[in-house]
Order: sequence, then structure tokens, then C-alpha cells
Amino acid sequence: MSQDSHGMEMLRSKTTLAEVLDVAISFECAARDFYTALVPRVSKRIRWLVEDLAAEEQRHFDMFTELAGRADLFEQVKTELQRTAADSKFSDCLHLPDLGEQPDDQAVLQYAMGREHAAMLHYGELADSTPPGPIRDLFAFLAGEETRHKLELEKLYYELVHRGGGV
Amino acid sequence: MALYTPDRSQYPAALPDGSLEFDLASGKYLKLWQGPQHPGITGNMSLELTVCGDEIVHARTHVGYLHRGFEKLMERRTFIQCFPIVCRICVPEPDFNEYCYAQAVEELAGIEAPERARWIRTLILEMGRINSYMMYLGGQAGSLGQAVIGQWTTYGRDLMLDRFEELTGARIYHMFILPGGVRDGLPDGFETRMEETLREIERIMADVEDVMFHNAVFKTRTVGQGIIRPEWIEDYGVTGPNARAAGVVKDVRKDQPYLVYPELDFEPVSGTDSDVFTRADVRRRDVHVSIDLVRQILARMPKDGPLMAKVPNVLHWKIPKGETYVRGECSRGEYGYYLVTDGSGYPRRVNVRGPSYTHAMALLEKMIVGVNIADVAGLMVSLHTYPPEIER
Amino acid sequence: MSLKDVLSPFTAWKYVFRDPVTIENPLRDRPGAARYRGFHKNDPELCIGCGTCETICQNGAIDMVPAPGRDPRQGDSALRPRIDYGRCCWCALCVDVCMTKSLSMSNEYIWVDRDPDAFRFTPGIDSKRWDSAELGYHRPEHHRLVPEHRPHMGELEPEERIGSFAEIVDGYTVEQARAEADRCVSCGLCIATCPAHMDIPNYIAAIRDGDYRHGLELLYRTNPFSEICGRVCTHKCETVCAAGHTGEPVAIRWLKRHIVDQVPYEQYRDVLAPPAPATGRTVAVVGAGPAGLTAAFDLARLGHAVTVYEALDKPGGMTRWGIPEYRLPYDIIDRDVDVIRSMGVDLRCGQRIGGDVTLGQLRDGHDAVVLALGLQMGRATRIPGSDHPDVRKAVDLLRQATAGEDFGTPQQAVVIGGGNVAMDIARTLARLQKQAFGTVRVTVTALEDFAHFLADPDEIKESFEEGVVILDARGPQAVVIEDGEVAGLKTWKVKSIFDEQGRFAPSYDETDEMIHPGSMVVEAIGQMTDTALLGEDLTEKLAWNRGRLQVDAKGRTSEPWLWAAGDMVRGPDVVSAVADGHRVAAGIHAALTGKEDQA
Repeated sequence: MSQDSHGMEMLRSKTTLAEVLDVAISFECAARDFYTALVPRVSKRIRWLVEDLAAEEQRHFDMFTELAGRADLFEQVKTELQRTAADSKFSDCLHLPDLGEQPDDQAVLQYAMGREHAAMLHYGELADSTPPGPIRDLFAFLAGEETRHKLELEKLYYELVHRGGGV
Repeated sequence: MALYTPDRSQYPAALPDGSLEFDLASGKYLKLWQGPQHPGITGNMSLELTVCGDEIVHARTHVGYLHRGFEKLMERRTFIQCFPIVCRICVPEPDFNEYCYAQAVEELAGIEAPERARWIRTLILEMGRINSYMMYLGGQAGSLGQAVIGQWTTYGRDLMLDRFEELTGARIYHMFILPGGVRDGLPDGFETRMEETLREIERIMADVEDVMFHNAVFKTRTVGQGIIRPEWIEDYGVTGPNARAAGVVKDVRKDQPYLVYPELDFEPVSGTDSDVFTRADVRRRDVHVSIDLVRQILARMPKDGPLMAKVPNVLHWKIPKGETYVRGECSRGEYGYYLVTDGSGYPRRVNVRGPSYTHAMALLEKMIVGVNIADVAGLMVSLHTYPPEIER
Repeated sequence: MSLKDVLSPFTAWKYVFRDPVTIENPLRDRPGAARYRGFHKNDPELCIGCGTCETICQNGAIDMVPAPGRDPRQGDSALRPRIDYGRCCWCALCVDVCMTKSLSMSNEYIWVDRDPDAFRFTPGIDSKRWDSAELGYHRPEHHRLVPEHRPHMGELEPEERIGSFAEIVDGYTVEQARAEADRCVSCGLCIATCPAHMDIPNYIAAIRDGDYRHGLELLYRTNPFSEICGRVCTHKCETVCAAGHTGEPVAIRWLKRHIVDQVPYEQYRDVLAPPAPATGRTVAVVGAGPAGLTAAFDLARLGHAVTVYEALDKPGGMTRWGIPEYRLPYDIIDRDVDVIRSMGVDLRCGQRIGGDVTLGQLRDGHDAVVLALGLQMGRATRIPGSDHPDVRKAVDLLRQATAGEDFGTPQQAVVIGGGNVAMDIARTLARLQKQAFGTVRVTVTALEDFAHFLADPDEIKESFEEGVVILDARGPQAVVIEDGEVAGLKTWKVKSIFDEQGRFAPSYDETDEMIHPGSMVVEAIGQMTDTALLGEDLTEKLAWNRGRLQVDAKGRTSEPWLWAAGDMVRGPDVVSAVADGHRVAAGIHAALTGKEDQA
């Protein structure tokens, strides 16, 4: 899905599960590629960080792809869902920033945390606005995944930047 | 009452060195061992008797059957580690060991047990005295064949052990008075239960008086028997009821007051006839003095306040060079601890003065000559001997 | 003898009509008293395996044995007391002395078993029916056989100390030190926790004995920076001290300082054996902080020729350039360093590697090179406005303060951070303000709340006393800039900083906004290492581990000639750096002498 067509869809107030999953997949895919592209550009000292991030996004990408292909969800992918307020923030994150020629660990982490935070809010609100059932459970699960990742990153950020650090 | 005079005609001739000559082969004399396992001996000691007919013509006391080497053990123990050891030096009345040892350590270490601890220590010592006498009375009656007294007094002693148990956490080895103070205060309601116990003991003591002391058999066996002559008191270092029954009123509680005794109202009990009966009677009356003292203490002791002085870390407590002797009046006489320190973490020397040492060895050997075999047990018990304190 | 004496004994017959007073079997119906000293109980979670019970037991009835399923960890030996009832005399001294109050006794006293070995068991581990007994002997609160409080140490009053950079604490007097040394129970949990595994119980024993020379000897066996560690060590030992469970932990750090205070400095060299004969091998050390100099000290004593290169003009690393003088006077650092130098270490200050001398040259000229660079660069918050020139980093200001440079003391300053560095710069600024303007106007804003504060409690207390304002749970949002000048810091209230799992997950209360006025904002948060001297090629060649140089257990990097030690691989901590210096020196020595397997 190109960014242009995505932008068109944002004009609608309703969306479908299929679309949500599509956006999610492209979101993770873009992030993975973004971090992968950073690998050779950063100092080897902090390369572990972008490699870790790329691997995590790949894991998410695989998970979403598997979800979208599952037969039991196929019937429901056309279900209409209320577009949420966090949607736009989430979509903003698809626009990849320029972290500079040689971004350092702090810049990469700050960006990554922002992404995960938006994704967490996005799925959380989707879950809240969906009636109880498997789809709601799905969104709750996705929100949990993103939250977990965000917490991991925040912990890392705290240790690197605030707590003595030593890196 | 006239002193008993044995028939000396059968006595062997004295050798030039003063010892007696027994020709055992003659069949006239017989060696008879009373102890170390014998119902008529107190604790683990032994009497080697030479008899002629029914009469003792010579006696040797033998101790050592109970030697556990406490004094030496203590030289290899830290000051706090000696605390659980000392009570074992006198099983029936262990608290004097705890008190004397703690007081000696405190004196040399320059610390002072708090006021409330001093009252509790006095209470414990008087409770122990009652118990010790109860045990004695049973033994004294039993040694003359009157077993029922022991059953009664053991019951009374058990009640007092219940009080010991709730106060100190143990019935026999209380391990409660330690250098610096005491472990804890009185449990809730202790005074009430103690009063019940004291009343029951008073009831038992009334029965003991009726059945043991107003008793023709007991009097026949004890009056005029086993005289300690007043002049022996100083010669042999006789103390406690043994001395007081001879009219020599010695009582460390009055003579060298310690703990809170100066604040308590009591008079030492004494007698004049210095025989087995008088000694038993002095102790019987002393039980009542102690009961009264326990009541005084419970009524007057402070209800709160510290129980332990500040002590240094007991694990490496070193005490400056010094020596001291601490004494107290136990149920058998003067109990004392002589403690020498050399600045290290261990006592250099601990010497325990148990009154049984003076009473049960040389004095007994002297008194027993001329006594009928059947009276030996009664005589020995009348000295109120606890062999563990002889063998420290 | 009277008629009464004949009749009176018959009154005994009245007992025929009395109920028996004996208690029938089974005795179980007769529980022991509330204080009864019955079979032992132990709370294995509370117990730390310090073995003090074993020490005090005069019967040798207690053995500390490994408890199944427990692994030793800091502050817990994982040993638990096993009691042999063939020896126990029920005195309860073990209960009285127990440092955690985990050991107690039940009021149970009846136990019948045919197997004699059954009477030797580990309370709390081997379950017994009295484990849940509520009654039984517990140490009464007032009853202490080990003093629980530290003696008071003299120190400058706040109004005295704020006027200068004079050292605050006096150190213990001999009497105070002996009283404090007396509180140690010699359990040794501290040894396992100390990164340098200092022989703490024995040097404390040396204080009790007044044998300071022996004490200093013990200190030097594991730590050539006892002057420094005696003042500013992070004293992890004290956090695991057995005495700390029911009282104050033993003041191990001050006791260490007391030993070095007592031995005349001229005699220091006497306690050290002279260095071994020269081996002909050479080692270069980059960085004259605790790690680098400890490695240098060890290697020099082993006979290797050691050259230490220090970029700044005086040795000591962060202990000199990071820690303010009122906590650690500079001449104290000199004393430690001079002893090290006297071992034949060639110390070259003001020589930055990467300039005239490169790392490659060091590699070519020596048998081994040690990097001990430290953490000298401050992290930035990167909040809006933080790129203003008057937003400074604490480590830079502290370095300038040590050098005596004037960095333009602000009349009012805001510090971001809640660790010891934040306290250091706040109190340094406070002193400079007092000298320049007569008043202290420093505000510290920390993310953490006081319950989770990173700085030592003493630091917080003393900062307050000196007039520093510390606001906890404030998240920095932006530096306020008015007319191009820094005017203050905007913060939001931190509602919570950690989630239920204890992970960092700040949530802010945006309605609770504060502006802390100040013409300078100081960032005193994390630190990092400047590894520029490695160059790009070497950086690419070396193996890294999450941002730090990867080293093996001996401190060797993936390049065999290059070793690394100290804060740059272990994180910031003086005594850990000392331990690391020893580690890397041992590794190098083994490598140079071909005994690597034995290292």
C-alpha cells in the first residue's frame, strides 16, 4: 500500500479490519526497513540497538502477516470499525523522519519510543471502540504487544540516558 | 536436749599419725559403700564407710562422679557463652550461678544492670530458694522413710516451675539472668498466678508441718542427731541454714546485702540445737520468709523500665584485667563466683564456691563417725548437699 | 515429744479425699508457656545465612548448611542453620543474637522418634509440625546482644560548610571507631558483595585490636585506593550488612577511612613488599582513574614496566574531576596515587591519546594496552531549548570547578537529575553562589520520587541542609528561554515513573506544570564514554556489547593486545573500577607470562 492511497482513506470516518491490518503490516514493514537502513550508518558501538529494533519490527511484521492470512479472521475482515482519534497520530508515524547522517543511540531510541507509543494508543482505542468479541481481543492483544515493546524501550532509555548509563 | 554420745569402746586404736587402724581381716570392721548409686545419697557422690556393727567408725567422702569441668570449659568460652553453662553447676537451684556470674562480669566490665532487672533477679532467686527447700524437705523426709512428703513438695515445686516456665521460658535451666540484666519482664497476669501458687505452697507447708515435723518418728530420728558444734562453723566454713541452726546467724542477704535485699523486710531464721531436726525446721520456716519476700517483691517492683544495660557486641566482648568475688545467700549457704579476667575475650579463671563443697566433704566425714548406718542418709541430707556444685 | 506428735501424722489421710494433681498422658494437652524455649523455627526467607547463630552457640549445635533450592546472592549466603538436638542446650542465645529475627523457638517440647538422626534438622527447610506455632520464645524487642546504632561522627555544620569546599565529615575518633567496629558480627556477607572482595571483617577486627598497620596491610591487599574508597565508596557492603536488618549497618566505609587516617603516611610504603624483579615487558594504560591506576599498581608490583597516559593534567579520573572537594579532598587522591607511583609506575599527565600519541603507537610500543577511559561525557535530555549555551552538563562544570576555572556562576540555577552527580553539582553551585552572592539559589528536579531516589540519602539530607531545593517526581519538558537568555526550566509532575514490574514507564500529570526560574540549567543525568580515540577502523574491528566494548572475563577485548577496564565496561562505580583494574592486571600478567590458563 502506498502512502498516497493510505492518505485518501484517512478521509473516511469508517475503516475495516482488513484495512487496519494492512496499515499495521505496512507500519511494521516500513519501520523494519528504516532500522535496517540505519545499521550501516551508525557507529558499531550502537549498532546493536538498531539491529535489535529491526529484529523486533520483523517479528511484528511476521505476526501481522500471519494474522491477516488466517482463515478464521477472513470472514470478519470486512467488518466496519470506527476510526479513532489516535489513528491520525499513528498514521503520522508512517512518515519516516530524517535522524541525520549519523544518529546516536538517544535519537534512535526517542524515535522508536514515539512510534511504539502511537501504535499502542491506536490499537488500544480500536479495542475500546469495538464490541466484545474476537476482533476486540485481537486489538487488545496488539495494543499489549506494542505496550510491551514500548516499556522495554523506555527502560532502555532510562538506563542509557538517565541512570548513570555507562555507554 | 542432750547431745548424743556414742559408745567409743569399740573404736580402733589410733596410729601415731592420728589415722585409725582397721584390721579388716579381723571381721570386726566392714567396708560399706554408700553410693555413688544409692537411694540414701544426694546426687552422684559416694561415702566409703567403715562400720563396726551398725555404727560408723570412719568415713571417707568421694566426689568426682559428676565432674564436667565447667570451670575449665569456661576458660575456653566467650563471656556470653559461659552464660548457658553456669546454670548447670547446680541443677536444683541454678539461678545463683546465673546471678553471680552475671554480676561478676558486670562488675569487671563496668556496667550495671537496670533497677527493674535487679528486682526480677531477686524475685527469681527467692522463687528458686522456695523450690530448693521443697526439694530438700521431700528428701529429708524420704531419707527417713517418709515418702509422702516428697510427693507433696514435688507438687508444690512443680507449680513454682510453672511460674518459672512462664517467666523465663524454661522449668529447670532458666537461663534468664545474663550479663547486663534479664531477658524479659513479667508476663501479663503473673502476679495473680504467683499468688495462687504461693497459697498452694503455704497449704502444702501446713500439711508438711503437721505430718513431718509434728511427728514422733521424725523427731525420734532427728532430734539430737547430727550436731554441728558452733565452734565448727568458722573452722569448716559452714554457712546458710547449717550455720543458722547452730545459732550462728549468717545470711549474706543481711551481712553483705546485694540486689534489692536492703529494701526488703525480713529476718533470717535461726535455731539453737544444731541437730537434723533444727536444720529441717530452719529451712521450713525459711520457706515462709521467701514466700513473704516474693510477695514483697511483686508488690513493690517497678512495672516498667529497661531490663538490660547496654552491652557491647557479645561476640567479641573483651573485659579489662581484673578480679572479683560475688556472693549470694542460696538455700544452702554462701554461693560465690570468683572471676579473673585478663583483658581478653575469655575468663582467665572462674572459681565457683558451692556451699556443698564445705558441707558435704570434710564436715560430713567428721559428723558421720559414731552414727548408726540407718541414720547416715538422714544426716547427709540434713546438710542439704548438691554434689554438682562440688564438682565444677 | 507430745501426744500431738503421735496423732498429727494421721492428718495425711485427708489426701485420700483429694483429687490427684498429676497430669495424665498424653502430655500434648499441656502446651509450653508463651515464652517456652522449645524446638527451633526459622523463617528461611528472612534468614540471610550470616551464621551469627552458629558463632554464638557454645555447644557447636548449629551448622550452617546449604539450603536446597537456594543460590547464594548478594546479602544471602543461601546457608541455613541446622540444629543438632544432641548438642543444643536450649539457651536461645542463637535467637537473641539473630541479626534478622528470623530464628525463634516454638513452645513445642515433645518429640519422639526412633531415628537419632531425626533430631538434627534445618528449621524452616525441613518442615516440622511446630513451624506454625505462634507461641514460643522470640527475642524481645529491647533485648539486644549486638548494639544497633552507629556512634555519632562529627561533621561541619551546614552554615560552616556551605561557605567553603572544606571536607565535611571529621572521620571517626579512635573511640568512636572501636565502638563501631565492635558492632560487626564478622559474617562476611560484605566480602562477597564488595566488587573488590575486600577483607572487611578482618580489617574491622584490626580496628578493634588497635592494630592499624595490619589493617592497612589488609586494605592494600585488595585496594590501592583505600584513602579514596574510605570517603566516597558506594559501599554496597553496607547494603548487605547483617547489622542493617534490625539496626544500622556497620559504617564500613568510615571504618576503612579510619584505618588510613590512623597510619602515618610515611609508613604506607612499609606495609607493601617491594615490586618483583623487572620482567622486561611493558604495558600502556590509558586513563589515570581508579581502574587504570589499580591495573598499573598490580602490574608494576609484578615487575612489568607500566606507563599511564592521562589526558588531563592531574591523575585520579572522575574521583578528582567529578567528585567535589568537600567530599574528597584532592590531597587525599594524591596520597593514594603517590603510593602507586612509588611502585615504579610512569605516570604521564596531560597526554591525550589520539593527538601526538596514537593508540596505534601504544600498541606498537607495548606488550599490552589497557583502556580505562571512564565515563566523562554527560548525556543530554534533548528537550526543547536544551541546545542553549547556558544549558550545561554537570560533568563539564565539575571538571571546570576542579580546575578552578570560572564558568560564570549563575545567581540562580536549575539542575536536572536525581543521582549523586546532580547532588555534587548542586552543592558545588551552592558553594560558589554563597561565595559570589552570599545566597544559595539552586533547584534540583528529579524524575524519581524520594522513595526511588538514586542519590545517597546522606547526600539528599546534606543538600537540604545547605539550602538546595530538591523537587522529586518532576519531568523536564522544556528550557524556558526569554529574549535569548535561559530563564528557567518547565517541568510536569511525574505521576508514576515505574510500572508494576518496576520498569521505567513515566506518566505525567500535564496539569501540574511548574517553571523553575534560573539563568542556567544543568543536565546531570547519564554519562557515557568518549571512544573517539579508537578511530573508525578499530571501532569497526572491535566487538561490542550493547554499547560497551566487549571484554572477556579477564578484561580482554576482541583485539588480543587491547584490554579494557573500569567505568567504560562496568558502569560508574569507584570500587568496581578498582576490582576491574585487578582483574585486567591479572589477565595481562597471565598473558605476558604465558600462564593464561592459570589466570
